[in-house]
Amino acid sequence: MRVTVVSSSTHNILRFVDVTVRHGSVVALDHVSAAIACGSLTAVLGPNGAGKSTLLRAILGWHPLASGEIRIGDHHTHHQLPRLAYLPQRHLLDWDFPITVRGVVEQGRYPSLGVFSRFSRHDHACVDRALEELDIADLAARQISQLSGGQQQRVFLARALAQGADIFLLDEPFAGLDIHATEELVHILRSWRAQGRTVLAVIHDLSLAREHFENAVLLKTRLIAAGETASVLSPANLDQAYRGGHCVHAHDPLHGVRTAQFPG
Amino acid sequence: MSFHELFIEPFTFGFMQRGLCSAALLSLSGGLLGSILVLRRLALMGDALSHSLLPGVALAFLVFGTNTLALFLGALIAGLLTALGSALLSRLTRVKEDAAFGSLFVIFFAAGVALVSLMRARIDLMHFLFGNILGVSPADLRLSAAASALTVIVFLVFRRGILLETFDPIFNRATGGRGGWMHLSLLALIVLNLVAALQAMGIVLALGLFLLPAVTAYLWCDHFGRLLITSVCVALFGTFAGILLSYHAGLASGASIVLCLGAVFFISALASPRYGLLARIRPHEGKGVVRSPE
Repeated sequence: MRVTVVSSSTHNILRFVDVTVRHGSVVALDHVSAAIACGSLTAVLGPNGAGKSTLLRAILGWHPLASGEIRIGDHHTHHQLPRLAYLPQRHLLDWDFPITVRGVVEQGRYPSLGVFSRFSRHDHACVDRALEELDIADLAARQISQLSGGQQQRVFLARALAQGADIFLLDEPFAGLDIHATEELVHILRSWRAQGRTVLAVIHDLSLAREHFENAVLLKTRLIAAGETASVLSPANLDQAYRGGHCVHAHDPLHGVRTAQFPG
Repeated sequence: MSFHELFIEPFTFGFMQRGLCSAALLSLSGGLLGSILVLRRLALMGDALSHSLLPGVALAFLVFGTNTLALFLGALIAGLLTALGSALLSRLTRVKEDAAFGSLFVIFFAAGVALVSLMRARIDLMHFLFGNILGVSPADLRLSAAASALTVIVFLVFRRGILLETFDPIFNRATGGRGGWMHLSLLALIVLNLVAALQAMGIVLALGLFLLPAVTAYLWCDHFGRLLITSVCVALFGTFAGILLSYHAGLASGASIVLCLGAVFFISALASPRYGLLARIRPHEGKGVVRSPE
């Protein structure tokens, strides 16, 4: 089985080997093989229904694999759950829930606590550090609906940090963020990469991926391409991924690419 | 009327003491379980579920008499059949989950009413539906104590898991939590407490003791733990006031408890400083718009 190396970096932290996932009779991922380098910032791209979210959830072991395997380092993923942090799409949460910013970040410590163990000084320190790092310490007592979209996103990134994760799976983290909040989030993710944390993010905005993510995985059920973003998003690959889509929307990615690549 | 006549004298009677104890015990568990129902937006489902227990209870009563275990198992089976049946219907046919649940519970309820009508003179439908707190026997009291204790213990032991599963089930699952089990246990606890509340409140009104304290607390609290405690306190206050009201005014006990809880809820909905109606009228202080610190 040929494995496409996403980055030339020495160590691949996440490896997909011949991964197939079926939802009933529908094939969501079709023999996908790829490798994600440790400490890389990777965009997962592709049209709707291409299996982007399925790829993230398969890492968490939520979908039985019809073929192949996913490995973290040398281990099966289910031995490595504490290292994985998954951020669902923001609209799936109830923002009116009676919980403060600190309360959400504290949840990051829960999985590692036993049923009867108390919240230790170490746990509090982890929470404090995460709040500090994402610059939301002064919002700690706020109820979570009293935050801007960017701040809400940072609260959940802080929970992932408090969890002690080093692999971050983000499902459409930029959806619904304004320009300012988007820049802020990009800044955070880039600083994480500098600290050796691995980020895998489902993204719809191709120009955002081009600008800020040096690695990309392009899916359309099959793997179209993986590697450096510039080469993954070649006109030929994009045409293959998005062909057959309905180009009625003004901001259709293919439309934008075509006018950029083939003027006239 | 003196303080003694108002608050002490009613509880010199054994049946009043048992009624108060039973209702207070159920307030503990009801306040906790109701909070989860409200936060997970399952309030209406809980209501439907309580109705669907009737055939199970009636059938168990018809076959085994007032055997508590039989009543509980009958109710649990009826509740599970409704919950699982509607889940299956919505997955396998075009019918959506809420419509499936609504249809199944009304069918179950009708079956229950039909079964109760078979019993004729032996028992009254009104008794199943609305209960009678003054008829709480020592055995009923023991069941309430067991249901309440079990619920409180489960909440104490699994408090973190319950919070995770209620707030963010996806996160819970991603970090190795068992959401499905928790959902099922919650259902079993609700059924157990509904059966325990059968004598005191009846199937239909018991849910008021679960939901009303929880929505009231939801209007006041920004913290999960405080919401649970507030909900329990409101439930305790409501049952105490309701039982006194029922004693002095000669009203049905279950109904007067629910009415007292309803009054507290309406006052909260009006006057809650951040999430009430009045807060909405005052400029810049409506729900979630407080941006400037302090």
